[in-house]
Amino acid sequence: MSAAEITLVAVGVLALVAVVLVNLAQRVDRLHRRVVGSRSTLEAQLVRRAEAAAELAAADALDPASAVIVAEAAWAAAVHAPRLVGGEDGDLADTGVERGLVESELTIALRAALGDAEDLAELRADPAGAALLERLESTCYRAQLARRFHNDAVVATQQLRRNPLVRLFRLAGRAAMPVTFEMDDEVFGGAPPATGS
Amino acid sequence: MPASTLRVGLVSPYAWEVPGGVNFHIRDLAEHLTALGHEVSVLAPADDEAELPPYVTPAGSTVPVSYNGSTARLAFGPMVARRVARWLKEGDHDVVHIHEPIVPSVGLIALRSATAPVVATFHSSQERSRAMMIANPLVRPGLERINARIAVSEDARRTLVEHLGGDAVVIPNGVDVQRFADGRPDPRWQGTPERPTIAFLGRLDEPRKGLQVLLGAIPELRRRHPGARVLVAGRGDLDRALDEAGLTRDDVEHLGEISEGDKLALFASVDVYVAPQTGGESFGIVLVEAMSAGAAVVASDLNAFRAVLDDGASGRLFRTGDPADLARVLGEALDDRDGTRALVEHARTAVRRYDWSVVAARVLDVYAMVTQAPADEDGLLTRLLRGFRRDE
Repeated sequence: MSAAEITLVAVGVLALVAVVLVNLAQRVDRLHRRVVGSRSTLEAQLVRRAEAAAELAAADALDPASAVIVAEAAWAAAVHAPRLVGGEDGDLADTGVERGLVESELTIALRAALGDAEDLAELRADPAGAALLERLESTCYRAQLARRFHNDAVVATQQLRRNPLVRLFRLAGRAAMPVTFEMDDEVFGGAPPATGS
Repeated sequence: MPASTLRVGLVSPYAWEVPGGVNFHIRDLAEHLTALGHEVSVLAPADDEAELPPYVTPAGSTVPVSYNGSTARLAFGPMVARRVARWLKEGDHDVVHIHEPIVPSVGLIALRSATAPVVATFHSSQERSRAMMIANPLVRPGLERINARIAVSEDARRTLVEHLGGDAVVIPNGVDVQRFADGRPDPRWQGTPERPTIAFLGRLDEPRKGLQVLLGAIPELRRRHPGARVLVAGRGDLDRALDEAGLTRDDVEHLGEISEGDKLALFASVDVYVAPQTGGESFGIVLVEAMSAGAAVVASDLNAFRAVLDDGASGRLFRTGDPADLARVLGEALDDRDGTRALVEHARTAVRRYDWSVVAARVLDVYAMVTQAPADEDGLLTRLLRGFRRDE
């Protein structure tokens, strides 16, 4: 083989490697965007859930003790706890664990305050209570959806980032490895609302 | 919350003119979303000459391909890919909802070229070959583009979770419960206490539909209920099936392939609908239809059927593939009239969760979750450069 031929083959191989790497980088990048996007959706849904809980607490539909506890938990979740997004460049802020605990506390407070199926039926008998409850159910369900979709994106990203090529060539850049968002989100025993929003 | 109008693109992998569960589901979903004020367009494999509803765009003609153990009519190739690209571009969808995205057809192509958020519904329960398809390196990058996954049953969800990681939301297939509840009985198929009617509906020559299990139960059933009439509806060679079971034409009543209207009447008329399927079912929409119409259901105890029947609260279950057990349970359903009536009553309320009004609302919940985050339109290079500039 002449020098020219060797060069040609080398260039060809390099080009092929480059295509593979660019492809991989694009996949990693797309997944990162999915993680950031779904995370901001999750953030928005969690806030709506806390708002619905706060409204229920403010509406005199619960007993006074429950109302105070739910209102406190909702306030903590919607205002005090660290945000999931809003870092400088929408980075994957490492705030999930703390936020998850606060959101779980809201879930536990709601579960205790709402009681069992009979108590729920009683609350539903009152039109004002029914409307508030329906909103809470819908927001809880949507928060569950948002968390599921976010965690899907996280798991897919983690899988791809374990690929040896992605690690060797640092295709993930400086982005932190995303982690799934864990919380107790079963306010209504997993039964989705019968009506949409 | 006032729902704003969404531009929804639905994608089917299977030939539109071939009747099948996935396409019926897409048709109903399209019509219900349209009724709710959304703009819906469907992309499905079909010939240009085919008669299509106005909302369906043909993606090109199909080729019969042996896939996943049976022959499916799929569309692929450069012409199809160009049409998919054009449909996506012209549609400018807010959300693209791809059904059966791992079937190598229009959906898989759309998955790779869609820029809008993608929702995917996994219909069939995933057998081993499908699980391998999920692991296929050519499919994987496409699957990463799915923003939200829907499974039609717990079974379908479990396989997805096992093979793909992550999770999926279970949203069952929809049924027009009211339409079936309003079905008018047909005297030809109505049973009497002496001559109760039992109906089977499904392909006669497809073993997994379980006609042989039902035929095997007939002799024993006749010993206990000599007057029982077994009505068999569906496409296929009945004589061959009867031969194999050692029965004759006199043992069953052959209805042949029946129309949608006749199906409504059949379910509204018969005493018992029997679903002896032996496997490969992930949901069981026919059970929901029969339950909506008020027929008592006797079904094999597949996971999917067990779930639809609320673990036996909405209908009776028998051991899958066991004719003797089926005969026993059928006898029970005919003898214990009060028990059967109670099951039918429970079923009438239980089916509400499969009504399209509920199902469509839940699908819209999923759409809302993926359309909320604004899509980042810039390419990788643009953002890399922007990132570098910010670092300086």
